[in-house]
Amino acid sequence: MNIVGISACTSGIAHTYIAKEKLIKAGHEFGHKVRIETQGTIGVEDELTKEEIAAADLVIIAADIKVGGKERFKGKKIVEIPTNIAIKAPKQLYKKIEAELNAKQ
Amino acid sequence: MLKKLQIKKHALTAISFMLPLVVASGLLIAIGNLTGGTVIENYQDAYSIPSALVSLGVLGMGLLAPVISGAIAYSIADRPGIAPGLLMGLIANAIGAGFLGGMLGGFIVGFFVLFLKKHLKVPKWAEGLMPMMIIPLVSSVVIGLLMFFILGVPIVWATDGLTSFLTSMQGSMKFVFGAILGGMAAFDFGGPVNKTASLFADGLLLEGIYQPEAVKILASMVPPFGVAFSWVLSKALRKKRYTKMEEDNIKIAFPMGVCMITEGVIPIAAVDIIRVVVSCTTGAAIGGGLSMLWNVGSPVPSGGLFIVPAMTNPFLFLLALLIGSVITGVMLFLWKKEPAKEFTEDTSDDEEEIDLSDVKITI
Repeated sequence: MNIVGISACTSGIAHTYIAKEKLIKAGHEFGHKVRIETQGTIGVEDELTKEEIAAADLVIIAADIKVGGKERFKGKKIVEIPTNIAIKAPKQLYKKIEAELNAKQ
Repeated sequence: MLKKLQIKKHALTAISFMLPLVVASGLLIAIGNLTGGTVIENYQDAYSIPSALVSLGVLGMGLLAPVISGAIAYSIADRPGIAPGLLMGLIANAIGAGFLGGMLGGFIVGFFVLFLKKHLKVPKWAEGLMPMMIIPLVSSVVIGLLMFFILGVPIVWATDGLTSFLTSMQGSMKFVFGAILGGMAAFDFGGPVNKTASLFADGLLLEGIYQPEAVKILASMVPPFGVAFSWVLSKALRKKRYTKMEEDNIKIAFPMGVCMITEGVIPIAAVDIIRVVVSCTTGAAIGGGLSMLWNVGSPVPSGGLFIVPAMTNPFLFLLALLIGSVITGVMLFLWKKEPAKEFTEDTSDDEEEIDLSDVKITI
């Protein structure tokens, strides 16, 4: 799958970036192409492009706080989780997402 | 229902907005105080660079309640929440409801704006006016008046009751008096209860009574010192008590505490409010009681450790401060639970079992 997403945590200096790395790493193991935009205290980094969002099959928002720019994902399948799930159990997360998607079809 | 309201997410958003402000303002005050600055009373007169720094820091601390309130309302209701949220924070400041008043105002006005956005129907021609005029105005009027006249009343009562209570306690046992004053000054980390005790001490200072001022200074330093001490204990005894994020906050709170700024403890208290408040209040109360009992007085109302030499009995002051901080630290250390395991530094692929039943895909 093509997956795009956003990560953001409370202090915006550590967990935001750990969540991003974990989501990308575990995603690759499952054969997904993952792109994550970070919204830390420094501001938006690695901003998602229109093309990336258009090509995405799924959006993962891993955030403990309010994130900006959600309207870009209108009509997309969205999974919203706190950052600790992405950090502690990214593989279980991907398995659960697959199970949910299969259940919907 | 509660889960749907996402109270925690909104509060965390506010904290993430507030952190850079508290750190910058706190350090401005600290640097200014260190270099001999004081708050500028009259900007028409000449003033020094250190005084300008202190004053900017104090102005920044004054922004705390509005920023908390504005960020909570923004988190709940998106952009239309910001303006009314900031206003509710200003009301909290004005009526003396401080940081807790700001949180309360932010939540109420945020949900009210969200309600208006969803349910207020206007004719087509007026739709452009909704975000620009109707929502900010209606929400500010309704919730603003609620804050001023209804939510403000119990806070004013509490403040009045406290002052008369304190005054009546004056002649009786010194320890009890010092303990109450110290406990109050530490109770809400620079909030309205602290300000009441603080104002009372400052008032007595003008009357030439120096002891309450020493209690106030002590009680402002016990929470950051106590929290830092509990962290040192947890490191020394290899028993984890704080998450990485909390440790970072403690490292900021301690130097702020040296300069008598208690607010650095707020981020640590916010995630574990009962344990931290009770421990800090207890330590400050005992330290304050001892300081009063030992007749320590301070002719200077503010300045933290740097003005200790100016006190009537610096040694006994430091002893009382130490005892209070150790009590707070030990209480926190024994009472706080080990935080949930962190996997921040762990790069292994082992995963713990986690409940994913809330993970839902929405379109």
